[in-house]
Amino acid sequence: MRLLLLLRLLARDWRAGELRLLVTAVVVAVATVTAISLFVDRLQAALLSESSTFLAADRVISSSRIIPDEFRVAAEQRGLETAETLTFPSMVFSAQRNQLVSVKAVSQRYPLRGSLRISDQPFVQGARTDTVPARGDVWLDSRLFPALGLAIGDIVTVGVADLRIAQVLTDEPDRGGSFFDLGPRLLMHIDDVPATEVVQPGSRLLYRLLLRGDDGDLADLRSTLDEELAKGFRWQSIRESSPSIGDALDRAESFLLLGGLLAVLLAGVAVALAADRYARRHYDHVAIFKTLGATPADVQWGYLTVLGIIGIVAVSVGLLVGAGLHLSIVGILRSYLPLELPAPGLKPLVVGSVTGFVCLVAFALPPIMNLRRISPMRVIRRDLEHAGVSRALTYAFAGCGSLLLLVWYTDSWWLTAWTLVGVLGIVVCFGVLATLLLRGGRVVGMQAGNYWRLALAGLQRRHRESVAQILIFGLAIMLLLILLLVRVALVDEWRQQIPDRAPNHFLMNIVPEQLGPLEELLTSRVDYKGELFPMIRGHVVAVNGQSAAQWESEHRHPDAPGPRLSSERNLSWTTQLSENNRLIEGIWWGEEEVEPQISVEQDYASSSHLSLGDVVDFNIGGISVSATVSSLRRVEWDSMEPNFFILFSPGALVDIPATYMTSFYLPADEKRFLNDLLSQFPTVTVIEVDELIRQIQSIISRVTQAVELILALVVASGALVLIASIQASRDQRLAEHALLRALGATRRLITGSLAAEFALLGIFAGIVATIGAEVTAYALQVEVFELPYQLHPWLWALGPTLGLVFILLIGMLGTRKLVNSPPVAVLRELD
Amino acid sequence: MTAEILSASGVTKIVPTSAGELTILDGISLEINAAESVAIIGASGSGKTTLLGILAGLDTPSSGSVLLDGNELTALDEEQRAVLRGELVGFVFQSFQLLGSLTALENVMLPGELRGDSDPRSEASELLRRVGLGDRATHYPRQLSGGEQQRVAIARAFASRPKILFADEPTGNLDKVTGARVIELLFDLNREFAATLILVTHDAPLAERCQRLLELDGGRLVTETRA
Ligand SMILES: Nc1ncnc2c1ncn2[C@@H]1O[C@H](COP(=O)(O)OP(=O)(O)O)[C@@H](O)[C@H]1O
Ligand SMILES: [Mg+2]
Repeated sequence: MRLLLLLRLLARDWRAGELRLLVTAVVVAVATVTAISLFVDRLQAALLSESSTFLAADRVISSSRIIPDEFRVAAEQRGLETAETLTFPSMVFSAQRNQLVSVKAVSQRYPLRGSLRISDQPFVQGARTDTVPARGDVWLDSRLFPALGLAIGDIVTVGVADLRIAQVLTDEPDRGGSFFDLGPRLLMHIDDVPATEVVQPGSRLLYRLLLRGDDGDLADLRSTLDEELAKGFRWQSIRESSPSIGDALDRAESFLLLGGLLAVLLAGVAVALAADRYARRHYDHVAIFKTLGATPADVQWGYLTVLGIIGIVAVSVGLLVGAGLHLSIVGILRSYLPLELPAPGLKPLVVGSVTGFVCLVAFALPPIMNLRRISPMRVIRRDLEHAGVSRALTYAFAGCGSLLLLVWYTDSWWLTAWTLVGVLGIVVCFGVLATLLLRGGRVVGMQAGNYWRLALAGLQRRHRESVAQILIFGLAIMLLLILLLVRVALVDEWRQQIPDRAPNHFLMNIVPEQLGPLEELLTSRVDYKGELFPMIRGHVVAVNGQSAAQWESEHRHPDAPGPRLSSERNLSWTTQLSENNRLIEGIWWGEEEVEPQISVEQDYASSSHLSLGDVVDFNIGGISVSATVSSLRRVEWDSMEPNFFILFSPGALVDIPATYMTSFYLPADEKRFLNDLLSQFPTVTVIEVDELIRQIQSIISRVTQAVELILALVVASGALVLIASIQASRDQRLAEHALLRALGATRRLITGSLAAEFALLGIFAGIVATIGAEVTAYALQVEVFELPYQLHPWLWALGPTLGLVFILLIGMLGTRKLVNSPPVAVLRELD
Repeated sequence: MTAEILSASGVTKIVPTSAGELTILDGISLEINAAESVAIIGASGSGKTTLLGILAGLDTPSSGSVLLDGNELTALDEEQRAVLRGELVGFVFQSFQLLGSLTALENVMLPGELRGDSDPRSEASELLRRVGLGDRATHYPRQLSGGEQQRVAIARAFASRPKILFADEPTGNLDKVTGARVIELLFDLNREFAATLILVTHDAPLAERCQRLLELDGGRLVTETRA
């Protein structure tokens, strides 16, 4: 068919409002996805960059050896920012006392992410600064001031150099996490290090090269340096170096993605409804075209062209609307999200466009393609029922399209399969429920008044449509209710990961003789649970008789994340697994003596290719120990409790001298306790993770807000489906009510029965939704969070009320015109 | 002229219904010459519309064959029949069958546009003027009366430049006076275009105006009268 004719028909359809629904549905799909994905994209980038402050950089190369200058040069050639740090333990001296500290010497640009905080008196919050100690100056941790009996302006001796105390260091971004970075901090300029003469061969040194810049440049640098890095340098990103934050980010990502998915599926339903309606309203057009000589092929290509034009227009508008929507989300949330959102990439726009076209193809194509099969006989026999698209075909298309989008978004067949199964399950259950409600309603309706009887009869007559509508409304309302229910559970669960009084200080290097007095002190002064972990440093030398290096080169993927097998690490032994460890394979040794066995953390095991039965040889302070892998564990890293990649059975390390580690909770205003502790046990190392925990909690709460927002968007697209499906049934309702009016029914009766119809639909949908929400919440609570379950009585009032109000409102607005227009006009419009 | 343009032999139409098979047409055979005008008459429900649909290639018979301008319709698929309809056939229906979203002129332009004519507009305007609606070109069907709508439909039918025109009760929805005017127009144009006319009606005076009358009863051809 000629393009001009097609465009003319398209324009007329548009003006007559025939296309509004279809275009709106596509626009909503595209806009929702674009908005979500723009927002998620930027939020993720922001969260990631905020998390980067825990590294003080985007990536870090670290080593116990000097980092070659070529690394820095190569990084700077790629436009990356760099900074250097050198960390080492050292004794420092004041006039009267001395103290073991962790010295960090930094270059001028440090830190590349986050900032230092300083003040002129100890134990306050301090203010941000973007400088580092000047040459000849040092900044000290608060608790070094009482420990060394010093004040600002005094001189402290590091090695052989005398340095002036210029500031109190109250916070540094990359403080948390590392268990090797021990003791209170002394921050100095890196150029002063040679003068101290403390850096000798054999000192425990940690060199770090901090990098900041574009992800691509960073990846490029990594691959260029790959060979060099393998020679004892560690490449760190935030995900590897701080698993707890990595986990929080991963969870956020899946939640947001699933939210987006639901929105698209809902919009897909709206597209399908709208396209079917559009096609039905074109049956007569097609029949006329065919009598005038249009071939089925003409018809098909004509309508495909129309669909293509609709697609291009709707997708473009959708992208614009989505971008606008996302801007207003950002605007609204600006005060909640004290995050600098980076500029978005192009990917969200691609995601939006592809989604729009896939939606059209999957949901709109079957009824449109079917137009070619309309019989020209329709022109002489209007009553000729066209069979419509075969349901199997429609579902197959919709199923394939959804599958495609699901896989594309989640990048996971597993998640896709479960989402589909979930949706299908809900559809089937809801369908059955809706049918029962309609049946039951009719029985009750027999005794009811005028309006209700009319309404129930109408719903019953359009049984299939009514069930579909209850199903769709029910789904949308259910999402809203689940949002209410789960939001609370979700946030609580995240909060519970780090309970309010979770240990936030770790003590290490406790020698056995100190255990008694130390526990006494802790029990009397702080929140102490009394869990002690023996700790022994050691490394793996061989696996199944193969040297560790050889084992790794054969079995470990060079890019595999996580720590390397052969590097030195903290080992421990225990008789009981702590709460945040779960055995996933093998068996746990009991209290009794057993052959030396080890239990390995699952990710560590899989990246190092260790499995049950492997025999691993260790070198522990010169003593060799051999043990069999007897179990694998999953560790909840975000619990912030002491955890070990490798745990030994109790008897295995009996003869090896161990130090102990423990943890306790100390509120922020009692930090001075550390002074008492350290003056009594000067050799004990304190690690403060309170700041890290606070930071993780702030990230979690932001992520929670983002999840809430996305769910709200999903609900919004659910509302659109409501409108679409009310629109889809409008013609039939119009016809019926016009007929009633022609037969003498008053406007009041019509309005009343129409309102009753929507009210019933709303209430039924609300009931279905409430049941669905309760079941889902039950499953989540009992199966996932393992909490006892209680019904929510308020939900049973809220669900149906919400359905009633929502659908009555949308329904009456959508059909306002039909009640007010004279019956003839309505009949003629439909003819 | 005695050149035969349409012939049917043994056309039978059987449709399945809930109460078993229903024979709507039962072994119809007929021959129609070019430029001839033929009326198909019969009581309501006798199968006239069904027969018209089959003769015009809108529908297929259950058995039997139809030869339209030398083409065996039953051997063609829907694609080929559509092409043939575009080239040979014009239609006028009881219910007008105008596209409500197009103006009168645009409706008349449709056949030309579907054919791919370079200037469908001028020919359509001319036809519209010919049926007396030159000044209503930009009106939409719902702004026209029934008679006017049927005149637009007639203009559109001749815009197909048909060799053969099928009309199914063209006056069925019109009052007597209007109907008579429409019929006058139909016959005038038919003569002008030298087209074959096959007219389904149960209006006896109207049928009388045709050269030949075929009467259907219960799906069988019962009488054939020459005027
Ligand atoms: N597809 C069909 N299915 C069932 N019955 C049909 C079908 N087509 C036509 N009929 C029936 O066949 C009979 C003849 O119809 P029709 O050709 O419209 O007659 P007429 O045009 O003479 O009134 C009618 O009783 C009609 O109901
Ligand atoms: Mg008929």
